[in-house]
Order: sequence, then C-alpha cells, then structure tokens
Amino acid sequence: MARTRLSSAKDKKGGGTAEKTNTNTTTTTSSTTTKYPLPTESPNPPKVFILPNKATAAARIVTLPNPRYSKPTRFLVCPEAGFFEFTKISAPKTAPRSWLLETASGAVEKPHEDEEDHIISSSDGFDVHITKGAELYVASPLDPLFLLLPALAAGAGQESKSTPAPKKRLFLSSDDHFDALSQPTNHVSEILTWPDLQRSLELRLAAVCDTVDAGDEQMFRLNESKLLDEMLAKARRMAEHAFPKSMEEKFVSKALEAPILGVRSQPTAVTEPDPTTATAKSREGSATPMESVNPQSTIPSLATSASSLSEASAPATSGSIDSATNADSGDVVNAMSAPEEAIKLQRLRVAFNFICSSYIAPSLAELLRSHCVAAKDKVDFGPLDDYLIKLTKMRNDAAAARTSDYSRKRGMDEEEDERAEKRRKKEEEDKVKKANQSRGVKKLAKVNTTGMKKMSDFFKKK
Amino acid sequence: MLQAELERADLLKKVVDAIKDLVQDCNFDCNDSGLALQAMDNSHVALVSMLLQVESFATYRCDRNIALGVNLTSLTKVLRAAQADDRLTLKAEDAPDVLNLLFESSENDRISEYDLKLMDIDQEHLGIPDTEYAATITMPSSEFKRITTDLMAMSESVTIEASKDGVKFSAMGDIGNGSVSLRQHTNVEKEDENVSIQLVEPVSLTFSLKYLVNFCKAAGLSSVVKVCLSNEVPLLVEYNLSGKKGAHSYLRFYLAPKIGDEE
Repeated sequence: MARTRLSSAKDKKGGGTAEKTNTNTTTTTSSTTTKYPLPTESPNPPKVFILPNKATAAARIVTLPNPRYSKPTRFLVCPEAGFFEFTKISAPKTAPRSWLLETASGAVEKPHEDEEDHIISSSDGFDVHITKGAELYVASPLDPLFLLLPALAAGAGQESKSTPAPKKRLFLSSDDHFDALSQPTNHVSEILTWPDLQRSLELRLAAVCDTVDAGDEQMFRLNESKLLDEMLAKARRMAEHAFPKSMEEKFVSKALEAPILGVRSQPTAVTEPDPTTATAKSREGSATPMESVNPQSTIPSLATSASSLSEASAPATSGSIDSATNADSGDVVNAMSAPEEAIKLQRLRVAFNFICSSYIAPSLAELLRSHCVAAKDKVDFGPLDDYLIKLTKMRNDAAAARTSDYSRKRGMDEEEDERAEKRRKKEEEDKVKKANQSRGVKKLAKVNTTGMKKMSDFFKKK
Repeated sequence: MLQAELERADLLKKVVDAIKDLVQDCNFDCNDSGLALQAMDNSHVALVSMLLQVESFATYRCDRNIALGVNLTSLTKVLRAAQADDRLTLKAEDAPDVLNLLFESSENDRISEYDLKLMDIDQEHLGIPDTEYAATITMPSSEFKRITTDLMAMSESVTIEASKDGVKFSAMGDIGNGSVSLRQHTNVEKEDENVSIQLVEPVSLTFSLKYLVNFCKAAGLSSVVKVCLSNEVPLLVEYNLSGKKGAHSYLRFYLAPKIGDEE
C-alpha cells in the first residue's frame, strides 16, 4: 500500500551503491480487516546510504568511538579509501516522508555485483520496501586523526588545570595509543588487523605528534602546537572559499553587518513604485523628497529601525548577503562595511570553531582555543577583533537612538498601551471560545464540584 | 494519511452529541488500530474515553499516528448535515490543517463534502488502569437515563448503593427525597432489558447528577449500559459501540465521587 509521498531509491547520485542491512521481510497478513493490510513492520528496516565510489569491496561499516563524545558511532572504513563519517538527512517531522525502495530491476547493483557479492547475498529476498522514515545516510570522508585524538589527549583535562605545559604526557607506541581506544563494544581492534591501515594511521599520528625511535619502533607523543597547526590548516582550507549560502549568511554576513543608517534615495528607483524604496524610508530617508507614495510606506519607518540587523535588509536589497561587503553599490547605506580581511578572519574563526565543536572532545577543544588565542604568530585575529569592538559600539548606539525615538512618540504610556492591548486580545479570544462552547458545557461549569477530586488524582499522566 | 469509512454516519453523530456537552475541544487520535479520544471536562472531575476500533469501520486506513484537534461544537454543526444512514468518510493528511468529511446518501447519489478546520490542542493523556470494581451493574440504558433524570428533580446529587439485595439510587433535596431500587432481573425474550448485578463487596457512593444526566446523552448509542463502582476510584459508565461482534469499541465516562460534604 502506497504512502502519500514516495521517493525512489534509484535516483541515487553519482552511481553510489545501495547497501541494505539484513532484512527479514515477513509479509504475514495482519489481523485487521482493512482492505489493504499492511505487512508487519520489520524490526530492522532497510536503510538508504550514499556511499563513495572509491570505497572498495572490503569496506565495512564499523562502530568506533565518536571523536567528540566518545560514545559508539558508526563509520565506514575502507582499507584503501580511508575513513568516512555518516551524516543522517531526514525530513522534518512536520512533513513526514517515506522511501519506496525497489531493486528488482537490478539497475543499481548489477555493475558492482561481482564485487559486492557478500553484501547482496544477505539480502537475496529483497524486492520492494516501504520505509517509514525517509532517512538518508551520506558518507563523507573523515580524517582518522580526529578518531585518534581522544587517545592522544587522554590526560589533557587534568593538565590544562595545573600547568599548560604538556610535559607529563609520555611517549607511547602507536599500539598503546590504539589500545586506549579499543573497547569490547567497538571494532577498533578488528580494523587494526587490516594490513596498511595501521601504517596510514601512524602517518596521521606523526602529523600531530613528536616522535622518537625506540629500537625498531616509533613512539608518539601529542604536540599541541602541531595539532593547532593541523587544525588551523584544516580551517584555512574550509575558509578559503565562501561557506554554503545559509552558513555564510548566518555566521559571517550577519555577524559582521553594521546597523543600517539610512538609504540613499535613487531617482531611477523611484520612477517605478517598487517596495524597495518604500521600505527604504527610514529616519534619514524621509527627509529626502519622495515622489512615489507607496501604500506600504506607512509601515517602513518602524520596520527598518526595528530590525536593522536582520529582516529589513532582506527586502531592501536583492542580494542581502553581499550587503556587508559592498554596501555602497546597494540601496542601503550601512554605517560601515567590513573590510575584506575581517571577513576572511571571521570565516577562519567560524571554521575553526566548527571543527573544535564537532570533532574534538570538549576539554581538548578548550585547550586548542586558548592556544589559538595565544599563538599570535600562527593566526592573528586582531583586525577582526578591532572591527567587532567598533561594531558592537555602533550597534549599541543604534539601539540607543531607536529607544529614544520611541519615547518621543509614545512617552510613558507605552507599557500601559501594551497591557491594554493584551487585555483586549484576551477578551476577544475568550469571546471566540465562548461562542464555540456548547450549552451543555456552559451548564456544567455551574455544577457544584466541591468534594470531587480531579481525575489526575486517580489516573496518572502518561 | 487517514481514510476511515463508517457505514452509518449515525455512530459518529451520536458519539459527538454525547460528548459535546462535556468537553469543548479534544483530539481524535488516529492510529492503525482505530480512532480514539480522551478528554476531561473543564473542571477535570469527569473524563470521557472513546475507542472506535478498526472493526467498527467499513474501511479503515491510517498510515501514521495523527491527532485531529477538533472543536466539538463545530464538528456537531458539520455532522448535522449528514443523514443518519449516510455513509461517512473521514479523511486527513499526515500533518493536517483540516478534516475532510464526506457524506454519501444511501438512497440517491447525493454526496456532500465538508472541510473542518483543525486546531492544536495541548492535552495531557491519562493512563487508565484496568480496575476490579466492587460492583458492576448492567441495565437498559433507557432505564439508567430515566432514573437520573427523575432524581434530578429532587437533588443535585445521587447516592448509589449496591448490596446483595440490589441497587438503590437515592436523592435527598430541599423539597423532599426519593429513591429508585432495582433488582437482578432476567428477561428471556428481551435480553436488553436484563438487570444484572455483579457484587464483590457492598459499596455506596455519591455522585453529581448533572454529570450523570450528561453521560446519559449516549443512551442512543447502545441499549445496554454498564455502571461500575468501587470505593476510592471514579465511577465508570460504559456504552458498548460494537455493532458487530468481535469489535471492542466503546464510549466510557468516568466521574469522581463526592466525598464528605453530603448535602
């Protein structure tokens, strides 16, 4: 029986291969007498994955400790392609979706069948499935270094309290480091038996560790300065180009956007009565002659001043994201525009914080952040901080200007007015409620209920 | 998506009629086992619990659990447009704004369709445990209705006393007092008129008559009513809604007893 929304499992991107966890598809007829009985729910429904092409047949989904929270998490590990983390993408609760999975044609699997024999053999009986949740698991490459960090930084928490110097940490062999991660509940020890994997992990270790050769074995000790270099390099790579639009807007543009002072009235823009000029009419803008009296022009002075940071700029300029960088070209006159350097540094800081807060254990992340602030030679956030201080001051000024503007108009009654309005609203709501009340309910309200306990005294809340 | 078809619109009409004077707004909770409702009156001393199992529907389909927040007065207005023997189909999306009601006349090809706006209702759900009642009285629903309305003329509250001799409903008021006693009674020809009393221990409790009269608006749904009493727990008045055998659809009312303060 079909659900309302169906998504075919076949339209996977990039020819990624679909893998199904073993499913037992029992299609017993249900006891109900519905026309189309639903098959009984599988306790282990199939899941949809997008896996990288370069992952070989030997790749496995294994449980490893999460680098930040150290709880067991699933990763895809391939002896050649390396480590991949899974990102779960699911539809919001408000708009539930389902998958219709169909592999009967074999179009998806055929080309890989010989390689993936072991995977498919476990799901021979797989034909068509409907799954309740439309979750999609996307595998993306992960630096195994993150997975190793918890072991390397085992003592980091205590050291940061006493002395910042990481001298107490001992040189240990890679095996000892790996052992620290291994637990009966995860698969660390299993994947370490793979040839080459240990070697490649050691290479990653060497990137952030001081090493000494003890006999034929190499010993490693975490060097926080090297780790900071490594993380900053990652952050730089991430910040090199602009972030995805929504992220860029939220963390970079908005954070650096100066309050809007006013809007230049452009004679060309006035000729056509577009909402841009209407919204543009702010305190300063109103002084300039406005030929077009737009029906909307009564609202804007409030709108622009109330939300100079966020909403107002959106309707005013078409490309609001750019407004911080090239404010002069748009209609809106920002009090100041962020210098290119500050934007770059902001991006770097966001990227660095993102890495710290998603892949590094909280204690170590704290340590890294403090190192990052101290290490002026590696990265200097000075220009950004200067700009931010100026910006905060400007925002405060703008906020102060706004409040004084209100008080001139409404004086002290503002609060009273608000209260009166609330009361009026409530009365109206009550009226609507009363109108929808049946006579019986009204009558019951008059019944004397003294000596009667509430239902919740008898029955517990679920 | 929900799609539920009732052979007769009557059933839902009567259920809503019986509840609408007790609660104003409530959630109809739909899942794959049927349509359920639980709501309390404004003073929280009475509770109504309804279950229409899948078997009570001609066809029933519900893919996801859906809560339909309905104002019962508005629903009554819409249901007034349905004839008693119309086929009624309820339809709703997975995250619905409206409940679609379709009435199909059994005699001609008249089809009427209504969309009822839904609302978000924040309702707490109470878990009702299975209770062994001290006394369970089964009687014709019309009889129970008559007793409550008759005694309503005398007083605001009624004392129900169940003993091995039978069950006695008594009311004391300003103008005097009155009582009705029933004994176990078996009518071979008309089973619906049987009065049976199952007693574990004698029990005597006082209840608000206004609420009981209100519950009796459900009398049209079933010819038999079951009244269950025990000390320290709410009274249960149950109407069976299963037309066909095998279904366990019901409409239950719970009412807290009056303690102390006996006028």
